[in-house]
Amino acid sequence: MNIKTVSYNSVMLYFEQIISEEVLDEVQTAYLQLKELDGIIDITPSYCSILLIYDIFMYDYKSIQKVIIERCSVEVVSDNKKSNKIIKIPTDYKNNLDLERVAKYNNLTIDEVITLHTQTVYRVYAIGFIVGFAYLAKVDHKIATPRLESPRAKIPKGSVAIADNQTAIYPQDSAGGWNIIGHTNFNEFDRFSIGDRVKFERIK
Amino acid sequence: MSFKILSSGIFSTIQDQGRYGFNHLGITHSGAIDEYAYGWSQKLLGQKNINAIELMVGLKLEVLKEIEISVTGADLGFKINQKLSPIWQSYSIRKGDVLTFSKRVSGQRAYLAVKNGFICEQKYGSCATTLKENIGFKIKRGDILETYSDFKRSTIFRLKKELIPNYEKPLTLRLLLSYQDDYFLTEEKEKFFNSEYQVTLESDRMGFKLKGQAIFPKKGGIISEGIAFGSVQIPKNGQPIVLLKERQTIGGYPKIGTVLAVDCFSLAQISIGSMVRFKAIEIEEAQEIMRDYLALFT
Repeated sequence: MNIKTVSYNSVMLYFEQIISEEVLDEVQTAYLQLKELDGIIDITPSYCSILLIYDIFMYDYKSIQKVIIERCSVEVVSDNKKSNKIIKIPTDYKNNLDLERVAKYNNLTIDEVITLHTQTVYRVYAIGFIVGFAYLAKVDHKIATPRLESPRAKIPKGSVAIADNQTAIYPQDSAGGWNIIGHTNFNEFDRFSIGDRVKFERIK
Repeated sequence: MSFKILSSGIFSTIQDQGRYGFNHLGITHSGAIDEYAYGWSQKLLGQKNINAIELMVGLKLEVLKEIEISVTGADLGFKINQKLSPIWQSYSIRKGDVLTFSKRVSGQRAYLAVKNGFICEQKYGSCATTLKENIGFKIKRGDILETYSDFKRSTIFRLKKELIPNYEKPLTLRLLLSYQDDYFLTEEKEKFFNSEYQVTLESDRMGFKLKGQAIFPKKGGIISEGIAFGSVQIPKNGQPIVLLKERQTIGGYPKIGTVLAVDCFSLAQISIGSMVRFKAIEIEEAQEIMRDYLALFT
Protein backbone atom coordinates (compact mmCIF):
# COMPACT_ATOMS: atom_id res chain seq x y z
CA MET A 1 0.00 0.00 0.00
CA ASN A 2 1.21 3.42 -0.97
CA ILE A 3 -0.35 6.71 0.28
CA LYS A 4 -0.24 9.87 -1.80
CA THR A 5 -1.42 13.41 -1.20
CA VAL A 6 -4.19 14.32 -3.66
CA SER A 7 -5.59 17.68 -2.60
CA TYR A 8 -5.47 19.95 0.44
CA ASN A 9 -7.82 17.55 2.27
CA SER A 10 -7.52 14.20 0.55
CA VAL A 11 -5.16 11.30 0.11
CA MET A 12 -5.21 8.25 -2.15
CA LEU A 13 -4.31 4.79 -0.95
CA TYR A 14 -2.93 2.80 -3.84
CA PHE A 15 -2.79 -0.96 -3.83
CA GLU A 16 -1.15 -3.00 -6.56
CA GLN A 17 -2.54 -1.46 -9.76
CA ILE A 18 -4.18 -4.56 -11.20
CA ILE A 19 -7.77 -5.73 -11.17
CA SER A 20 -7.74 -8.93 -9.14
CA GLU A 21 -9.71 -10.54 -6.38
CA GLU A 22 -6.68 -10.50 -4.04
CA VAL A 23 -6.33 -6.72 -4.41
CA LEU A 24 -10.08 -6.31 -4.01
CA ASP A 25 -9.89 -8.18 -0.69
CA GLU A 26 -7.20 -5.74 0.48
CA VAL A 27 -9.29 -2.75 -0.62
CA GLN A 28 -12.37 -4.12 1.12
CA THR A 29 -10.49 -4.78 4.37
CA ALA A 30 -8.87 -1.33 4.41
CA TYR A 31 -12.18 0.34 3.51
CA LEU A 32 -14.01 -1.32 6.39
CA GLN A 33 -11.22 -0.28 8.79
CA LEU A 34 -10.95 3.30 7.57
CA LYS A 35 -14.59 4.21 7.19
CA GLU A 36 -14.94 4.08 11.00
CA LEU A 37 -12.10 6.56 11.51
CA ASP A 38 -12.93 9.93 13.13
CA GLY A 39 -12.62 13.02 10.98
CA ILE A 40 -13.32 11.29 7.67
CA ILE A 41 -15.52 13.42 5.42
CA ASP A 42 -15.86 10.93 2.59
CA ILE A 43 -14.27 7.74 1.36
CA THR A 44 -14.36 6.33 -2.15
CA PRO A 45 -13.10 2.80 -2.66
CA SER A 46 -12.50 1.54 -6.18
CA TYR A 47 -10.79 -1.40 -7.91
CA CYS A 48 -7.34 -0.91 -6.42
CA SER A 49 -7.45 2.42 -4.59
CA ILE A 50 -9.25 4.32 -1.86
CA LEU A 51 -9.71 8.09 -1.92
CA LEU A 52 -10.09 9.51 1.56
CA ILE A 53 -11.20 13.07 2.34
CA TYR A 54 -10.34 14.19 5.85
CA ASP A 55 -10.96 17.08 8.22
CA ILE A 56 -7.90 19.35 8.06
CA PHE A 57 -8.63 20.63 11.56
CA MET A 58 -8.04 17.08 12.83
CA TYR A 59 -5.15 15.94 10.66
CA ASP A 60 -2.50 17.45 8.45
CA TYR A 61 -1.09 15.78 5.36
CA LYS A 62 1.53 13.95 7.44
CA SER A 63 -0.52 12.84 10.43
CA ILE A 64 -3.31 11.42 8.25
CA GLN A 65 -0.76 9.08 6.66
CA LYS A 66 0.39 7.86 10.06
CA VAL A 67 -3.16 7.20 11.18
CA ILE A 68 -3.95 5.29 7.99
CA ILE A 69 -0.82 3.15 8.27
CA GLU A 70 -1.60 2.41 11.90
CA ARG A 71 -5.19 1.45 11.07
CA CYS A 72 -4.08 -0.79 8.24
CA SER A 73 -1.15 -2.39 10.04
CA VAL A 74 -3.15 -5.27 11.43
CA GLU A 75 -4.14 -8.21 9.35
CA VAL A 76 -7.74 -9.27 9.47
CA VAL A 77 -8.11 -12.97 10.24
CA SER A 78 -11.88 -13.12 10.34
CA ASP A 79 -14.23 -10.22 10.11
CA ASN A 80 -17.90 -10.15 10.97
CA LYS A 81 -18.26 -6.75 9.28
CA LYS A 82 -17.38 -8.45 6.03
CA SER A 83 -20.45 -10.36 5.07
CA ASN A 84 -20.08 -13.48 3.01
CA LYS A 85 -23.73 -13.29 2.16
CA ILE A 86 -24.52 -13.35 -1.52
CA ILE A 87 -26.86 -10.67 -2.87
CA LYS A 88 -29.18 -12.44 -5.28
CA ILE A 89 -30.54 -10.72 -8.38
CA PRO A 90 -33.61 -12.40 -9.92
CA THR A 91 -33.20 -11.78 -13.63
CA ASP A 92 -35.50 -12.16 -16.59
CA TYR A 93 -33.43 -13.00 -19.66
CA LYS A 94 -36.35 -12.88 -22.11
CA ASN A 95 -36.74 -10.25 -24.85
CA ASN A 96 -33.49 -8.50 -24.34
CA LEU A 97 -31.75 -6.34 -26.84
CA ASP A 98 -28.26 -7.78 -27.03
CA LEU A 99 -28.52 -11.36 -25.79
CA GLU A 100 -28.29 -12.59 -29.34
CA ARG A 101 -25.34 -10.32 -30.09
CA VAL A 102 -23.48 -11.67 -27.05
CA ALA A 103 -24.29 -15.26 -28.09
CA LYS A 104 -23.18 -14.72 -31.68
CA TYR A 105 -20.03 -12.86 -30.71
CA ASN A 106 -18.97 -15.78 -28.54
CA ASN A 107 -20.33 -18.61 -30.76
CA LEU A 108 -22.71 -19.79 -28.07
CA THR A 109 -26.43 -20.43 -27.82
CA ILE A 110 -28.57 -18.01 -25.84
CA ASP A 111 -29.10 -20.65 -23.16
CA GLU A 112 -25.36 -21.15 -22.82
CA VAL A 113 -24.88 -17.41 -22.33
CA ILE A 114 -27.53 -17.36 -19.60
CA THR A 115 -26.04 -20.39 -17.88
CA LEU A 116 -22.56 -18.87 -17.92
CA HIS A 117 -23.86 -15.51 -16.67
CA THR A 118 -25.78 -17.07 -13.76
CA GLN A 119 -23.18 -19.56 -12.57
CA THR A 120 -20.51 -17.08 -11.44
CA VAL A 121 -20.51 -15.40 -8.04
CA TYR A 122 -19.40 -11.85 -8.88
CA ARG A 123 -17.73 -9.33 -6.61
CA VAL A 124 -18.42 -5.59 -6.43
CA TYR A 125 -15.14 -4.03 -7.69
CA ALA A 126 -16.33 -0.43 -7.76
CA ILE A 127 -19.47 1.70 -7.53
CA GLY A 128 -19.87 4.85 -9.56
CA PHE A 129 -20.67 6.22 -13.02
CA ILE A 130 -24.20 6.80 -11.76
CA VAL A 131 -25.61 6.34 -8.25
CA GLY A 132 -25.66 2.67 -7.28
CA PHE A 133 -24.02 1.42 -10.48
CA ALA A 134 -21.90 -1.52 -9.25
CA TYR A 135 -19.17 -2.87 -11.50
CA LEU A 136 -19.36 -6.66 -11.04
CA ALA A 137 -16.55 -8.94 -12.16
CA LYS A 138 -15.31 -11.14 -13.50
CA VAL A 139 -17.56 -12.39 -16.22
CA ASP A 140 -16.61 -15.82 -17.64
CA HIS A 141 -14.26 -15.12 -20.55
CA LYS A 142 -16.54 -17.24 -22.77
CA ILE A 143 -19.23 -14.52 -22.64
CA ALA A 144 -17.07 -11.38 -22.34
CA THR A 145 -18.27 -8.95 -25.03
CA PRO A 146 -17.04 -5.48 -25.94
CA ARG A 147 -19.24 -2.38 -25.52
CA LEU A 148 -21.52 -1.31 -28.36
CA GLU A 149 -19.85 0.87 -30.97
CA SER A 150 -22.15 3.76 -30.18
CA PRO A 151 -23.89 4.04 -26.82
CA ARG A 152 -27.67 4.07 -26.56
CA ALA A 153 -29.36 7.29 -25.45
CA LYS A 154 -31.56 5.49 -22.95
CA ILE A 155 -31.18 2.16 -21.23
CA PRO A 156 -34.07 1.35 -18.89
CA LYS A 157 -33.61 1.00 -15.13
CA GLY A 158 -33.06 -2.63 -14.10
CA SER A 159 -31.25 -3.61 -17.29
CA VAL A 160 -28.64 -6.30 -16.70
CA ALA A 161 -25.65 -5.78 -18.93
CA ILE A 162 -22.18 -6.96 -19.93
CA ALA A 163 -19.17 -4.95 -21.08
CA ASP A 164 -15.90 -6.82 -21.59
CA ASN A 165 -15.41 -8.94 -18.48
CA GLN A 166 -17.72 -6.88 -16.27
CA THR A 167 -21.45 -7.07 -15.65
CA ALA A 168 -23.80 -4.57 -14.00
CA ILE A 169 -27.38 -3.50 -13.37
CA TYR A 170 -28.52 -0.03 -14.46
CA PRO A 171 -29.94 1.52 -11.26
CA GLN A 172 -31.85 4.19 -13.19
CA ASP A 173 -32.66 5.08 -16.81
CA SER A 174 -29.40 6.20 -18.33
CA ALA A 175 -27.38 6.46 -21.50
CA GLY A 176 -24.97 3.57 -21.90
CA GLY A 177 -23.00 1.35 -24.22
CA TRP A 178 -23.17 -1.98 -22.43
CA ASN A 179 -24.78 -5.10 -23.95
CA ILE A 180 -28.21 -5.59 -22.41
CA ILE A 181 -28.86 -9.26 -21.69
CA GLY A 182 -31.61 -9.22 -19.05
CA HIS A 183 -33.86 -7.28 -16.74
CA THR A 184 -34.39 -7.29 -12.99
CA ASN A 185 -36.81 -5.63 -10.58
CA PHE A 186 -34.09 -5.57 -7.90
CA ASN A 187 -34.10 -2.06 -6.45
CA GLU A 188 -31.86 -2.01 -3.36
CA PHE A 189 -28.83 -0.47 -4.98
CA ASP A 190 -27.63 1.16 -1.76
CA ARG A 191 -27.02 -2.34 -0.35
CA PHE A 192 -23.97 -2.74 -2.55
CA SER A 193 -20.61 -2.20 -0.89
CA ILE A 194 -17.15 -2.75 -2.27
CA GLY A 195 -16.17 -6.45 -2.27
CA ASP A 196 -19.73 -7.76 -1.83
CA ARG A 197 -20.74 -11.00 -3.54
CA VAL A 198 -23.53 -10.96 -6.11
CA LYS A 199 -25.22 -13.69 -8.14
CA PHE A 200 -27.82 -13.53 -10.90
CA GLU A 201 -30.69 -16.03 -10.83
CA ARG A 202 -32.74 -16.79 -13.89
CA ILE A 203 -36.50 -16.24 -13.63
CA LYS A 204 -38.14 -19.00 -15.61
CA MET B 1 -45.73 31.16 0.79
CA SER B 2 -42.73 33.38 0.42
CA PHE B 3 -41.68 33.78 -3.21
CA LYS B 4 -43.29 33.39 -6.59
CA ILE B 5 -40.95 32.91 -9.53
CA LEU B 6 -41.79 35.37 -12.30
CA SER B 7 -38.86 34.38 -14.49
CA SER B 8 -36.54 31.38 -13.98
CA GLY B 9 -33.29 32.84 -15.31
CA ILE B 10 -30.71 30.69 -17.11
CA PHE B 11 -30.22 28.18 -14.34
CA SER B 12 -31.48 28.46 -10.78
CA THR B 13 -31.34 25.68 -8.19
CA ILE B 14 -31.37 25.33 -4.42
CA GLN B 15 -27.93 24.47 -3.04
CA ASP B 16 -26.18 24.08 0.27
CA GLN B 17 -22.71 22.87 1.25
CA GLY B 18 -23.37 19.52 -0.46
CA ARG B 19 -23.77 15.90 0.63
CA TYR B 20 -20.78 14.09 2.05
CA GLY B 21 -20.28 10.50 3.11
CA PHE B 22 -22.08 8.84 0.18
CA ASN B 23 -19.35 8.77 -2.47
CA HIS B 24 -19.05 5.01 -1.97
CA LEU B 25 -22.55 4.68 -3.47
CA GLY B 26 -21.63 6.88 -6.42
CA ILE B 27 -23.41 9.94 -5.02
CA THR B 28 -21.61 13.15 -5.95
CA HIS B 29 -20.95 15.95 -3.45
CA SER B 30 -22.90 18.63 -5.30
CA GLY B 31 -23.61 21.84 -3.37
CA ALA B 32 -22.80 25.51 -3.99
CA ILE B 33 -20.17 25.78 -6.72
CA ASP B 34 -18.82 28.98 -5.16
CA GLU B 35 -18.67 28.16 -1.47
CA TYR B 36 -17.15 31.54 -0.63
CA ALA B 37 -20.14 33.53 -1.90
CA TYR B 38 -22.54 30.92 -0.55
CA GLY B 39 -20.82 30.99 2.85
CA TRP B 40 -21.27 34.77 3.11
CA SER B 41 -24.91 34.53 2.02
CA GLN B 42 -25.42 32.48 5.16
CA LYS B 43 -23.20 34.44 7.50
CA LEU B 44 -24.84 37.76 6.60
CA LEU B 45 -28.08 36.27 7.93
CA GLY B 46 -26.40 34.94 11.06
CA GLN B 47 -26.76 31.32 10.02
CA LYS B 48 -24.55 28.47 8.90
CA ASN B 49 -25.08 26.24 5.88
CA ILE B 50 -28.87 26.17 5.61
CA ASN B 51 -29.38 26.76 1.86
CA ALA B 52 -29.68 29.39 -0.86
CA ILE B 53 -30.71 29.72 -4.48
CA GLU B 54 -27.71 29.49 -6.77
CA LEU B 55 -28.70 31.53 -9.80
CA MET B 56 -27.46 32.85 -13.11
CA VAL B 57 -28.73 35.94 -14.84
CA GLY B 58 -32.46 36.37 -15.50
CA LEU B 59 -34.11 35.32 -12.24
CA LYS B 60 -37.09 37.43 -11.17
CA LEU B 61 -39.15 36.83 -8.02
CA GLU B 62 -42.15 38.33 -6.32
CA VAL B 63 -42.06 38.48 -2.54
CA LEU B 64 -45.20 37.06 -0.94
CA LYS B 65 -44.41 37.83 2.70
CA GLU B 66 -42.09 40.04 4.70
CA ILE B 67 -38.73 38.35 5.04
CA GLU B 68 -35.01 38.84 5.49
CA ILE B 69 -32.71 37.96 2.61
CA SER B 70 -29.09 38.22 1.57
CA VAL B 71 -27.52 38.42 -1.89
CA THR B 72 -23.89 37.53 -2.65
CA GLY B 73 -21.70 36.34 -5.53
CA ALA B 74 -21.95 37.60 -9.09
CA ASP B 75 -23.13 41.14 -9.78
CA LEU B 76 -26.20 40.47 -11.91
CA GLY B 77 -27.66 43.94 -11.63
CA PHE B 78 -29.69 43.08 -8.53
CA LYS B 79 -32.74 45.28 -8.13
CA ILE B 80 -35.45 45.59 -5.52
CA ASN B 81 -38.49 47.13 -7.24
CA GLN B 82 -36.47 48.55 -10.14
CA LYS B 83 -33.97 50.09 -7.75
CA LEU B 84 -30.39 48.94 -8.23
CA SER B 85 -29.28 47.55 -4.84
CA PRO B 86 -25.78 46.65 -3.64
CA ILE B 87 -25.02 42.98 -3.07
CA TRP B 88 -22.94 41.13 -0.44
CA GLN B 89 -25.57 42.50 1.91
CA SER B 90 -28.73 41.51 3.79
CA TYR B 91 -32.13 43.20 3.34
CA SER B 92 -35.55 43.18 4.90
CA ILE B 93 -38.03 42.98 2.07
CA ARG B 94 -41.79 43.41 2.05
CA LYS B 95 -44.78 41.68 0.58
CA GLY B 96 -45.22 42.75 -3.04
CA ASP B 97 -41.55 43.59 -3.62
CA VAL B 98 -40.08 42.33 -6.87
CA LEU B 99 -36.46 41.13 -6.96
CA THR B 100 -34.66 40.98 -10.29
CA PHE B 101 -31.25 39.81 -11.49
CA SER B 102 -31.46 41.04 -15.04
CA LYS B 103 -28.03 42.15 -16.23
CA ARG B 104 -24.67 40.44 -15.89
CA VAL B 105 -22.07 42.93 -14.72
CA SER B 106 -19.39 40.65 -13.27
CA GLY B 107 -19.27 37.01 -12.20
CA GLN B 108 -21.60 34.20 -13.22
CA ARG B 109 -23.44 32.90 -10.19
CA ALA B 110 -25.20 34.77 -7.40
CA TYR B 111 -26.68 33.43 -4.18
CA LEU B 112 -30.03 34.48 -2.79
CA ALA B 113 -30.49 33.27 0.76
CA VAL B 114 -33.34 33.75 3.21
CA LYS B 115 -33.37 33.75 6.98
CA ASN B 116 -33.70 30.11 8.15
CA GLY B 117 -33.66 28.82 4.59
CA PHE B 118 -35.99 27.62 1.86
CA ILE B 119 -38.12 24.58 2.63
CA CYS B 120 -36.72 21.68 0.69
CA GLU B 121 -36.67 17.92 0.79
CA GLN B 122 -33.38 16.66 2.18
CA LYS B 123 -31.83 13.68 0.47
CA TYR B 124 -28.83 11.98 2.04
CA GLY B 125 -28.65 14.82 4.54
CA SER B 126 -28.59 17.74 2.11
CA CYS B 127 -30.81 19.98 -0.01
CA ALA B 128 -28.19 20.33 -2.76
CA THR B 129 -29.73 19.94 -6.20
CA THR B 130 -28.14 17.41 -8.58
CA LEU B 131 -30.33 17.11 -11.65
CA LYS B 132 -28.45 14.13 -13.10
CA GLU B 133 -29.19 12.20 -9.90
CA ASN B 134 -32.84 13.30 -9.93
CA ILE B 135 -32.30 15.15 -6.66
CA GLY B 136 -34.03 18.52 -6.40
CA PHE B 137 -35.35 20.55 -9.33
CA LYS B 138 -34.57 23.36 -11.69
CA ILE B 139 -36.49 26.45 -10.59
CA LYS B 140 -39.02 27.49 -13.22
CA ARG B 141 -41.53 30.24 -13.83
CA GLY B 142 -44.63 29.95 -11.65
CA ASP B 143 -42.91 27.98 -8.87
CA ILE B 144 -43.73 28.99 -5.33
CA LEU B 145 -40.86 28.72 -2.87
CA GLU B 146 -41.63 28.33 0.80
CA THR B 147 -39.40 29.44 3.64
CA TYR B 148 -39.18 28.35 7.25
CA SER B 149 -40.00 31.62 8.92
CA ASP B 150 -40.84 35.23 8.36
CA PHE B 151 -38.53 36.32 11.15
CA LYS B 152 -37.51 39.91 10.60
CA ARG B 153 -34.33 41.35 11.99
CA SER B 154 -33.66 45.07 12.02
CA THR B 155 -29.88 44.95 11.61
CA ILE B 156 -28.69 44.97 8.02
CA PHE B 157 -25.17 43.74 7.33
CA ARG B 158 -22.90 44.33 4.39
CA LEU B 159 -19.60 42.56 3.78
CA LYS B 160 -16.50 44.76 4.08
CA LYS B 161 -15.23 45.89 0.72
CA GLU B 162 -11.82 44.24 1.05
CA LEU B 163 -13.48 40.83 1.41
CA ILE B 164 -15.57 41.18 -1.76
CA PRO B 165 -13.87 39.34 -4.63
CA ASN B 166 -13.14 40.95 -7.97
CA TYR B 167 -14.26 38.44 -10.58
CA GLU B 168 -12.86 40.46 -13.47
CA LYS B 169 -9.22 40.28 -12.55
CA PRO B 170 -7.01 37.66 -14.26
CA LEU B 171 -7.19 34.31 -12.52
CA THR B 172 -4.24 32.12 -11.65
CA LEU B 173 -5.26 28.71 -10.38
CA ARG B 174 -2.94 27.36 -7.70
CA LEU B 175 -2.37 23.70 -8.38
CA LEU B 176 -1.04 20.95 -6.18
CA LEU B 177 1.05 18.67 -8.38
CA SER B 178 0.21 15.66 -6.40
CA TYR B 179 -0.48 12.00 -6.71
CA GLN B 180 -0.15 11.47 -10.45
CA ASP B 181 2.66 13.91 -10.93
CA ASP B 182 4.98 11.21 -12.30
CA TYR B 183 2.51 10.38 -15.09
CA PHE B 184 3.70 13.58 -16.77
CA LEU B 185 7.15 14.27 -18.15
CA THR B 186 8.84 17.48 -16.97
CA GLU B 187 8.43 19.08 -20.40
CA GLU B 188 4.67 18.40 -20.36
CA LYS B 189 4.39 20.04 -16.94
CA GLU B 190 6.44 23.01 -18.16
CA LYS B 191 4.10 23.41 -21.13
CA PHE B 192 1.15 23.27 -18.77
CA PHE B 193 2.46 25.94 -16.40
CA ASN B 194 3.70 28.20 -19.19
CA SER B 195 0.44 28.27 -21.13
CA GLU B 196 -2.78 30.20 -20.91
CA TYR B 197 -6.02 28.25 -21.10
CA GLN B 198 -9.38 29.51 -22.23
CA VAL B 199 -12.61 28.67 -20.38
CA THR B 200 -14.92 27.01 -22.92
CA LEU B 201 -18.69 26.94 -23.21
CA GLU B 202 -18.64 23.36 -21.99
CA SER B 203 -18.29 24.45 -18.41
CA ASP B 204 -20.86 23.70 -15.76
CA ARG B 205 -21.35 22.49 -12.21
CA MET B 206 -19.68 19.20 -13.11
CA GLY B 207 -16.49 20.67 -14.47
CA PHE B 208 -14.83 23.39 -16.52
CA LYS B 209 -13.36 22.35 -19.83
CA LEU B 210 -10.35 24.44 -20.82
CA LYS B 211 -8.78 24.95 -24.23
CA GLY B 212 -5.14 25.65 -25.00
CA GLN B 213 -1.79 23.91 -25.20
CA ALA B 214 -2.51 20.17 -25.15
CA ILE B 215 -0.49 18.11 -22.71
CA PHE B 216 -0.17 14.37 -22.66
CA PRO B 217 0.48 11.84 -19.90
CA LYS B 218 2.81 8.88 -20.39
CA LYS B 219 -0.26 6.66 -20.61
CA GLY B 220 -3.80 7.60 -21.53
CA GLY B 221 -5.80 5.66 -18.98
CA ILE B 222 -5.63 4.45 -15.41
CA ILE B 223 -7.81 2.04 -13.47
CA SER B 224 -10.90 3.98 -12.33
CA GLU B 225 -10.40 5.67 -8.97
CA GLY B 226 -12.02 8.29 -6.74
CA ILE B 227 -11.85 11.92 -7.90
CA ALA B 228 -11.15 14.83 -5.53
CA PHE B 229 -12.70 18.32 -5.87
CA GLY B 230 -10.57 20.45 -8.17
CA SER B 231 -8.85 17.53 -9.92
CA VAL B 232 -7.43 18.51 -13.30
CA GLN B 233 -8.15 15.60 -15.55
CA ILE B 234 -6.34 15.18 -18.85
CA PRO B 235 -8.51 13.29 -21.33
CA LYS B 236 -7.27 11.82 -24.63
CA ASN B 237 -7.31 15.18 -26.47
CA GLY B 238 -4.87 16.67 -23.93
CA GLN B 239 -7.19 19.56 -22.97
CA PRO B 240 -7.54 19.97 -19.17
CA ILE B 241 -10.86 19.67 -17.35
CA VAL B 242 -11.15 21.07 -13.81
CA LEU B 243 -13.62 18.83 -11.98
CA LEU B 244 -16.02 20.59 -9.65
CA LYS B 245 -19.07 19.91 -7.48
CA GLU B 246 -21.01 17.47 -9.67
CA ARG B 247 -18.03 15.46 -10.91
CA GLN B 248 -18.39 11.71 -11.23
CA THR B 249 -17.26 9.91 -8.09
CA ILE B 250 -14.79 7.67 -9.96
CA GLY B 251 -13.02 7.96 -13.28
CA GLY B 252 -10.13 6.65 -15.30
CA TYR B 253 -8.30 9.63 -16.80
CA PRO B 254 -4.91 10.72 -15.47
CA LYS B 255 -4.82 13.93 -13.43
CA ILE B 256 -1.98 16.41 -13.39
CA GLY B 257 -2.98 17.73 -9.97
CA THR B 258 -5.71 19.48 -8.02
CA VAL B 259 -6.66 23.15 -8.05
CA LEU B 260 -6.88 24.68 -4.58
CA ALA B 261 -10.55 24.75 -3.52
CA VAL B 262 -10.72 28.54 -3.02
CA ASP B 263 -9.47 29.03 -6.59
CA CYS B 264 -12.12 26.61 -7.88
CA PHE B 265 -14.70 28.91 -6.30
CA SER B 266 -13.23 31.85 -8.24
CA LEU B 267 -13.15 29.78 -11.43
CA ALA B 268 -16.91 29.21 -11.09
CA GLN B 269 -17.42 32.97 -11.43
CA ILE B 270 -15.27 33.58 -14.48
CA SER B 271 -16.74 34.48 -17.89
CA ILE B 272 -16.75 31.95 -20.71
CA GLY B 273 -13.83 32.81 -22.98
CA SER B 274 -11.60 34.19 -20.20
CA MET B 275 -8.01 33.04 -19.93
CA VAL B 276 -6.58 31.31 -16.85
CA ARG B 277 -3.12 30.16 -15.85
CA PHE B 278 -1.84 27.55 -13.44
CA LYS B 279 0.79 27.98 -10.75
CA ALA B 280 2.27 25.25 -8.57
CA ILE B 281 1.67 25.29 -4.83
CA GLU B 282 2.98 23.07 -2.04
CA ILE B 283 0.79 21.10 0.33
CA GLU B 284 1.88 22.96 3.49
CA GLU B 285 0.83 26.27 2.01
CA ALA B 286 -2.38 24.78 0.56
CA GLN B 287 -3.46 23.49 3.96
CA GLU B 288 -2.60 26.78 5.65
CA ILE B 289 -4.65 28.81 3.15
CA MET B 290 -7.60 26.44 3.43
CA ARG B 291 -7.51 26.40 7.25
CA ASP B 292 -7.64 30.20 7.28
CA TYR B 293 -10.43 30.16 4.72
CA LEU B 294 -12.54 27.56 6.54
CA ALA B 295 -12.04 29.35 9.87
CA LEU B 296 -13.86 32.36 8.37
CA PHE B 297 -17.05 30.34 8.28
CA THR B 298 -16.85 28.43 11.54
